[in-house]
Amino acid sequence: MNGLGDLRTYNPLVKVLGPVPVMVYVVTTRDVLTPALVALGAFAVLAVAGRQSPRVLAAIAGGAAALTVVMTFSFGLLTDPALVADTTVLATVGGFEVRSGALATGLATAVRTVALMMLVLLGGLTTSGADVVRAMTQQLHLPYRVGYAALAALRFVPRFGHELEVIRGAHRVRGVAPGRGPVVAVRRQAGYVVPLLAGGIRHAERVSLAMDARGFGAHPTRTERTVVPFGARDVVLLLSFWAGAAACAVLAATLTPA
Amino acid sequence: MRFAYPDPVTSPLLELRGLRVRHHLPLDDGGHRLGDPAPDGVDLAVRPGEVVLLLGPSGCGKSTLALATNGLVPHVVDADVTGTLTAGGHDVAATRPPLLAADVAMVFQDPDAQVVTGSVLDEVCFAPENLRRPPAEVLARAEGALRQVGLWERRGDDPALLSGGGRQRLALACALAVGARLLVLDEPTANLDPDGVEQFYATLRSVTASGERGVLLVEHDLDAAVEAADRVVVLDAAGRVATSGPVREVLAGRAEELAELGVWLPTTTLAALRLRAAGVPIDPLPLTPAELTGALDAVSLPAPVAVQEPDVPPVDRRDVVVSVDHLTVRRGGRTVLDDVSLDVARGDLLALVGANGAGKTTLAQLVAGVLRPRRRAVAGSVRVGGLDPWRADVRDLTAAVGFVFQNPEHQFVTGRVDDELAHGLRLRGVPDGEVVARVDDVLDRFGLGALRDRHPFWLSGGQKRRLSVGTAIVCRPDVLVLDEPTYGQDRERAVELLDLLTTLHDDGTTVVVVSHDMQLVAEHATRVVALAGGRVVADGSPAVLLRDDAVLAAAGLRTPPLARATGALRDPAWHAVTRLADLPAARLPAVHLAGADA
Repeated sequence: MNGLGDLRTYNPLVKVLGPVPVMVYVVTTRDVLTPALVALGAFAVLAVAGRQSPRVLAAIAGGAAALTVVMTFSFGLLTDPALVADTTVLATVGGFEVRSGALATGLATAVRTVALMMLVLLGGLTTSGADVVRAMTQQLHLPYRVGYAALAALRFVPRFGHELEVIRGAHRVRGVAPGRGPVVAVRRQAGYVVPLLAGGIRHAERVSLAMDARGFGAHPTRTERTVVPFGARDVVLLLSFWAGAAACAVLAATLTPA
Repeated sequence: MRFAYPDPVTSPLLELRGLRVRHHLPLDDGGHRLGDPAPDGVDLAVRPGEVVLLLGPSGCGKSTLALATNGLVPHVVDADVTGTLTAGGHDVAATRPPLLAADVAMVFQDPDAQVVTGSVLDEVCFAPENLRRPPAEVLARAEGALRQVGLWERRGDDPALLSGGGRQRLALACALAVGARLLVLDEPTANLDPDGVEQFYATLRSVTASGERGVLLVEHDLDAAVEAADRVVVLDAAGRVATSGPVREVLAGRAEELAELGVWLPTTTLAALRLRAAGVPIDPLPLTPAELTGALDAVSLPAPVAVQEPDVPPVDRRDVVVSVDHLTVRRGGRTVLDDVSLDVARGDLLALVGANGAGKTTLAQLVAGVLRPRRRAVAGSVRVGGLDPWRADVRDLTAAVGFVFQNPEHQFVTGRVDDELAHGLRLRGVPDGEVVARVDDVLDRFGLGALRDRHPFWLSGGQKRRLSVGTAIVCRPDVLVLDEPTYGQDRERAVELLDLLTTLHDDGTTVVVVSHDMQLVAEHATRVVALAGGRVVADGSPAVLLRDDAVLAAAGLRTPPLARATGALRDPAWHAVTRLADLPAARLPAVHLAGADA
């Protein structure tokens, strides 16, 4: 595992798109062990080569455990009782029979979800949005105008958050739809739309003028100061993702009693 | 391509001949009609080494002209343009704006709206990269530009972490990095605090010192801009050139004429005009505080108008409307307000001043109940008109305090101007007949009667501002709180608004206004409270506080221009003069032009 080095230095496309076939495979599994092994494997790679702080890793592990518990029970309750009628009743809650088969189905769903989450985090936590855009323009030949415009738009998000907070305060002191309840809440939210959009459109127009004034779109290509390489080590990483997933499947099959 | 460069040293970087722009105003059917021409038939040139200041009243087309210099008007902003425009040897009409980035660089008013990337270094590299310069050259240019504006050490930071002044210097660095010899600056300091303005102009001076670049500067704050500019072009309200020439010749030589046009003059020039009318022989007119000091020391001065030191009993004896008691507020691990205690008495016009980030807005929002802090994040208390603004019912709160937001659009909640005014009254259950009477009264007083059935969002900037003040006072609150009402507004609107506040104050409304425009504060406030780092660092009358250089500098502020001039005078009787109204003369009718946007 140490041979991997720093996951952040690999090509973003490999990290973000490489796990996709594994995700597709995980979705098709029905057992618990295969996705569990994939989830553990992905978490191990993240822990060893992801250069994340211990707090982040602890939060991920804790979040995954909590998600598993919550989903096991909630999906377990949603399972069609007819399908698991031949399994043991573990408890009766308010007229509902909790059967072991239902919980097993819930657990499998939960573990699949956690595995998908881990595979997404693998790329998500080790890649910046700007690097994904750079790799998409350099390797996938996405027009840079699309990619960089999307990046500029992403920068609006915190501004909108702040603006929404101010509008909310403004409407509250003016007494718009005071009170509680879902209908009132919807009316209240609807009132934020016009000022937020008006501000957003104006801001977008200004940013686009500033970008034009700075040569954005002058030529079909632009200098990429940061070259995102796609080398042999990226191919190795890609193949190891797939090999690792295959190993998980084989191991799960070996460990499962026939 | 053939470029006509007869003489690369002195041939203009920008040349306009008969420029006339008519904006396309959208119609409901998808078509458009043409707006009035502005600018209209303007000739203008910017040569290397020159800073050309473009002045004119609201609506004369200054910003439009700036946007036309690299073709954003009409290539991006739809308009009919006639006349010829040449920038860096290119015919602008025939060139797409991005292709002109190497010749014309722009700095806009809003520092937030020109940041495109996630780091200071990427930001500066953005334009050279777009122009396909090789990576090594991009980096070398970026480093040179960032060092010149003093931001090289912060190259790894997110631009959002810079102060407003820092972001405008970053915008200058972006202009330098792309190597453009013409800089077009459209009100670059309108959103900055005094410290940021000073930083920006210091950087601009170093940028133009080499003499190879030229600058077209649109700016309302003449107190800051006048020392940076070489030449002035003045447009009249119809967008035609009214006069042009060297700065001193135009601003000092034709000051009366400019004031009549509705063009703002440096505060010290206005002061000298006023004194001249009162019989003090000042010639030539000064443009800076130092020049005014020199001119006044050279003549025998009459006694100033008795400066009215506010004759007020101690606060605790008077009728206290707002009471802030040992207020400490934390947000995101940072202490935003630190043990603030403050009483506002009935009849005060209190200015809350301080640099960006000093906690002024937070304090104002807490007083008005706009912010309701979580119990854990706050210590101390606030009372306004006898209520706790964080827990009071909105209906009671609107009778105690009215709040005017920086952006008026934030507080509009209905689809008609008159409904907007009636909203607060109906909420409080005021009888219909009285609602109609009070709404009509406010519409009348604020000059909005003819617009009563319009949607508030379709009003002009100045009208929106008046309506937002109207919605706040229609419920007759004990205190009116305004959050930077002049931020990002041009000078005429700012003065119009402060005149309106003074009228309200004269009628007995208590006013708290958050601002960092020191001269406006000096002219209108009866009391000034300065915040720095969340603490109250000074509290007193403007006549005393606004000439205390040390306190103001510590708060990231600057002495307003008139106080700077009088403070250095030999005659100590004049040291307390901080307001134009303190000068011995009748008020100039042409100086305060209101309603220019109507």
